[in-house]
Amino acid sequence: MPHRILVVDDEEPVLFAMRDYFSACGYGVDCAQELEEALALIDNIRYSIVFLDLRLTGIGGVEGLEIVGYVRERCPWTRIVILTAGTTPEVEREAHRRNVDAFLHKPKPLPQLARIAYGLLETVNDTQNASRQNA
Amino acid sequence: MIHKTLLDRMLEPGGLSVLFQPIFELKEEGWRLHALECLIRGPRGTNIEQASILFDYARKKREESLVDRACLTTVLKEAAKLPGEAHLCINVHASTLGRDHGFAAFVKEMAAEHAISHSRLTIEIVEQVPFWDGPSFSNTLEEFRSTGIQIALDDVGLGQSNYRMALYCRPDYFKVDRHFVQGSHKDVYRQAILESISLLARRFSARVVVEGIEMVEDLDATTSMGIDLVQGYLLSPPITGPELIEKGFLEGRIIFPREASHPVTVF
Repeated sequence: MPHRILVVDDEEPVLFAMRDYFSACGYGVDCAQELEEALALIDNIRYSIVFLDLRLTGIGGVEGLEIVGYVRERCPWTRIVILTAGTTPEVEREAHRRNVDAFLHKPKPLPQLARIAYGLLETVNDTQNASRQNA
Repeated sequence: MIHKTLLDRMLEPGGLSVLFQPIFELKEEGWRLHALECLIRGPRGTNIEQASILFDYARKKREESLVDRACLTTVLKEAAKLPGEAHLCINVHASTLGRDHGFAAFVKEMAAEHAISHSRLTIEIVEQVPFWDGPSFSNTLEEFRSTGIQIALDDVGLGQSNYRMALYCRPDYFKVDRHFVQGSHKDVYRQAILESISLLARRFSARVVVEGIEMVEDLDATTSMGIDLVQGYLLSPPITGPELIEKGFLEGRIIFPREASHPVTVF
């Protein structure tokens, strides 16, 4: 089964580009423009990686990091990548405190994102294999 | 950046669509249509096309009532196009029944608009999150009951669909989730739970519907426990209105005749 990726961003061109690129790489890609939409998807689908923009409609900054805990509670092995712009060092520190797997500043070339995703997915595979062996 | 939210797209004309999944009743000759569960689908090509995500999204936006009203309107409009007088089961959140004080009146108004009698309607109560507004909830249910609309409790045994809910709903139907049904033919613990729910339903003067029947063995097992209302892919998946007509279910077509030990209808 291919890895499934969720991209949360309120900018449609970003979602379009990410879906297009990562689908072509063989991943299953879902996109969400709103927080509630993202949370509903996370409740129903297990993602290997969530790419998250912190500045969605109606939220931003540290408040945008609330979703990190939500993801972790539902699926501890999901890797979380913050991909955002115009943030502050405080927010970045808080993100690391909450154990996000990567904190990236926009813009980033898609091939670079793909390399980061590939590296993180290797660790997802390792975690899953370890849990199967311990089961 | 301003964009249309999923909620906007859902509420646009044509944003929601309906599939009907038949609930069959065991008669002397075999299984015959008892009712149709009306299943909503969200706008095509969106994340909320799938009902579970759609309702989860509605709950997270705290717009259950708005979405339930839109779903009900869509269901009644589509059901009105079907021939005959099939009974309709319509999913509604418990929170809508508790908080939307005009919901019962809205249902009656919509039913009248589409010339659907109250006796054809069952409100199927769904809830995935803790909710309670006892008096208001009970008043709404009483308003339904007084006009002949029946009540079903969905997903019995899971989440919030528990004894307390049964007590306050006093449902006409207990709908048992597939979790307890699938594999029941070879699992004495599942059988114990199904028997317990059957007994509970009898004491409530209610009936049991088992969901998720996909194997003949589970159908036989539940039937042998005296459960005579079933729903599941073995008998029929959710289908469109035209497919429902084509299959003859609305005309009382019998499937799985009593004499046969195996299905005679292949879907």
